[in-house]
Amino acid sequence: MDNALYVGLSRQMTLRHELDIVANNIANADTSGFKVESLMVETQPKAPAMTLDGPKPVKFVMDTGVARDFGQGAIHKTDAPLDLAIEGQGFFKVSTAEGERYTRDGRFRLDDRGRMTTQAGQPVLDEGGGEITLDPDKGAITIASDGAVSQGSERVGKVGVVTFDALSVLEKTGDNLLRNTSNQQAKPASSAQVRQGALEGSNVNSIAEITRMLEVTRAYESMAKMMDSTAELSRRSIERMGRVQ
Amino acid sequence: MQALRTAATGMSAQQLNVEVISNNIANMNTVGFKRQRAEFQDLLYQTMERAGAQSSDQGTIVPTGVQVGAGVKTGSTYRITEQGAMTQTGNKLDMAIQGRGYLQVLMPSGETAYSRAGNLSVNDQGQLVTEDGYQIQPAITIPGDAADITISKSGQVEVSQSGQTSPTVVGNIELATFLNEGGLEAIGDNLFKESGASGPATTGVPGVNGIGTLLQGYTEASNVDAVSEITALIIAQRAYEMNSKVITSADQMLAAANQLKS
Repeated sequence: MDNALYVGLSRQMTLRHELDIVANNIANADTSGFKVESLMVETQPKAPAMTLDGPKPVKFVMDTGVARDFGQGAIHKTDAPLDLAIEGQGFFKVSTAEGERYTRDGRFRLDDRGRMTTQAGQPVLDEGGGEITLDPDKGAITIASDGAVSQGSERVGKVGVVTFDALSVLEKTGDNLLRNTSNQQAKPASSAQVRQGALEGSNVNSIAEITRMLEVTRAYESMAKMMDSTAELSRRSIERMGRVQ
Repeated sequence: MQALRTAATGMSAQQLNVEVISNNIANMNTVGFKRQRAEFQDLLYQTMERAGAQSSDQGTIVPTGVQVGAGVKTGSTYRITEQGAMTQTGNKLDMAIQGRGYLQVLMPSGETAYSRAGNLSVNDQGQLVTEDGYQIQPAITIPGDAADITISKSGQVEVSQSGQTSPTVVGNIELATFLNEGGLEAIGDNLFKESGASGPATTGVPGVNGIGTLLQGYTEASNVDAVSEITALIIAQRAYEMNSKVITSADQMLAAANQLKS
């Protein structure tokens, strides 16, 4: 009898995590380059649950991981010369104190030394892993679709755009950055195109997220209801047994 | 429940977004105003190391753990320094900067501030000053008997006086440029101050070394685009509502848990 309660509880725990993830998606619906996430759940195949006549196949729910959708977000024009959007699969390389990080957030700027940086001041890296230094006095900055940066007729560098064979090796670290958790090397993204004067929005679909949120709330409530009925059942059986005696 | 706090970060981010947008709209007709943009980043992720991450029976490790984000934060409010439109005023002491560069303004404290607002006037001593009466650097004095004032593209100020055939040069306006204009610190009154993020000011003659040129008789309008600001406002309002909806949902779930009979 208690198993029903525990199964219900396992579902409620995953539902709470799912709501946390939905809340994070909605909070970041306006964050450039944010990639939507969802919780993956599965039934635990052999749960260590015991009943009187031996192990019964009680199936608990457990969360196995987070699925991250790396699909393209909508690209909108901003006309700021250092706003870059990537069309296709690829990431910009950023140098941080903790090592190289990857991002699809292309809101770049120049720092006080003329280096191209992210909004947090981390230098954006070129193909070879070097910093890109620009001099605004030399004229308008043009960035071609392959990432080549030029000022006037002079080529001053190339923004590095890389990708991975398996995107599951990437882990979010906050600040719109991703970390490579494996030994897999980043490789140049051949199919990705850089768009200057545009930004990639998040790929959060608000309607889908709100629907998912309603689903989560209702599922949680029906679980609570189920647990209530189970508890009610055992309460009533105890009452009746008492009367028979 | 994490979702409550996550949605609260979303609401405060959108509130700040609305504040930035409303400041842009309020300054739509401010000379030389540059619009700003609130930029958001995702917050830290909590990687949950739970018993479920490793199945005890098979010992197979799930490669992706459960990572739950904590919401959103404002990374910065970025000033977009693109050129505003030129408005003809016909006023001899109005000048618009076409291209990069800032006028240098001497503050009462002795510090130098920088401005794109070229609607200048003359004070009681004939000095060229801003709307608020702060002197332009290098100081330029217009003689009282000046019949006409000409400001060239390269910043040379000439006056023609009665009884003289050729105009007299009374000074040269210099402009300051920065490696990172967006990093300047706004101090109100259309003025900016140098900051660690902007880099030091480099002064020079207008039209030389990539510095912009001056255009007499015009002022630079703000670069606020009303349509895109209103669109951004609608998006921000809806995003705010969605985050509040998440709070309602989380609250309902907590209520359901609390109503369980013991």
